[in-house]
Amino acid sequence: MKNYSIVSFGLLTAALALSSLARSQDTPTSRAGQVDQRPPSVYQKLAEAGPGGPAPVHDLTGFWNGPLEPNFADMPSLTALGQSKFKMNIPDPFSAHSNDPWRTCDPFGFPRSATNETRGLAFATMPQGIVIMTQYSKIWRMVWMDGRPLPKNFGTKGGPSSRWYGYSIGHWDGDNTLVVETTGVDDTTWIDRRGYPHSVNMHVEERYTRVDRNDLGLTVTIDDPKMYTKPFVDVTNKFRFTPQQQEDEQLCVPSQAIDYLNTIAIPAGQDEIAGQK
Amino acid sequence: MRLRIAFYFFVVVAILPVSSTVFAHHGNAAYETSKAVELKGATVTKFVWGNPHTFLMFDVKDDKGNVVHWAGEAGSPSSLGLLGWTKESVQPGDVVTVYIYQSRTGRPVGRLNRIVLADGTALKDSALGYREQ
Repeated sequence: MKNYSIVSFGLLTAALALSSLARSQDTPTSRAGQVDQRPPSVYQKLAEAGPGGPAPVHDLTGFWNGPLEPNFADMPSLTALGQSKFKMNIPDPFSAHSNDPWRTCDPFGFPRSATNETRGLAFATMPQGIVIMTQYSKIWRMVWMDGRPLPKNFGTKGGPSSRWYGYSIGHWDGDNTLVVETTGVDDTTWIDRRGYPHSVNMHVEERYTRVDRNDLGLTVTIDDPKMYTKPFVDVTNKFRFTPQQQEDEQLCVPSQAIDYLNTIAIPAGQDEIAGQK
Repeated sequence: MRLRIAFYFFVVVAILPVSSTVFAHHGNAAYETSKAVELKGATVTKFVWGNPHTFLMFDVKDDKGNVVHWAGEAGSPSSLGLLGWTKESVQPGDVVTVYIYQSRTGRPVGRLNRIVLADGTALKDSALGYREQ
């Protein structure tokens, strides 16, 4: 009997591994009936460069390439309010009847800008902080490094205004890890493409660790007691330093997205097929 | 023990498909993907190089000589760029051959497999462009 259990567990593990391969669009797949000739992505090509030497101290400056999507670490445990909000969110940028902000190219907000379409990321040093730039939609966020505190009490009368990308402060943890804390994000945005909600007082921690010259790791942790029963890691991701320092242009243009919905999604019957009339 | 095996089976059968659905960049359930339709002599009327997806509009004459207005989607510019596409790959007035997975509704809309330009260059879709035909 014990053997059956081990075999079952092995099958489960193998299936999960295959599942994660299949869902990574930056990983060429080879399935029965398909000829796999896809060229590698820019991110995949950069693996050939190797580590490139030790990481410089307190310096992430420059442009980094990432995969299309990060790794989703945990399924968060929602509070009753979080569950009711989550149920109202219908993710799908390609559906005429979803309420995904991406559908009409509304701002991703934060942390969705760090968890969705992650092919390009850049850091620039400013006199009092660091600007983090996201290739998709050309988003930039100011991270104050001058010791100021984060504003608080969002959503209260007389309190500060929430914003699409909130308010961010940062500090270095050791020589190579930049820790960024963010709060005050507009609560109509989602934390990721899965449709998970957040409150305006959500606290997000990004930990960027430069493990060597060419490799950067990211962990995004969310603490939002109003929506989740405990803090959780939403995503982890890996980026590679780009020798050419050249970005791609990835803009989501509202008029084009609406044109897509009217020209493709609705006539194709995507919602009819999915049973969402 | 049987319950434990049944549990693992449930996880594999019930949860993995959900996982795939959640993470798929774009489901193609609306399209008949077993066979691409070949449309020769397609005249391009519009090419939108955009996010989340690029799409092509073109006119094709049916068996009775009537002009049918088609539309076909492909991947994002970033994905197609790796495969040789550019914003200027096709322009209105170009005559191309289109291989497309048509909507199950039967309407003239679908997901591209590839297009073949007048000079013979084949431009494949980033998602369904590598299927054997």
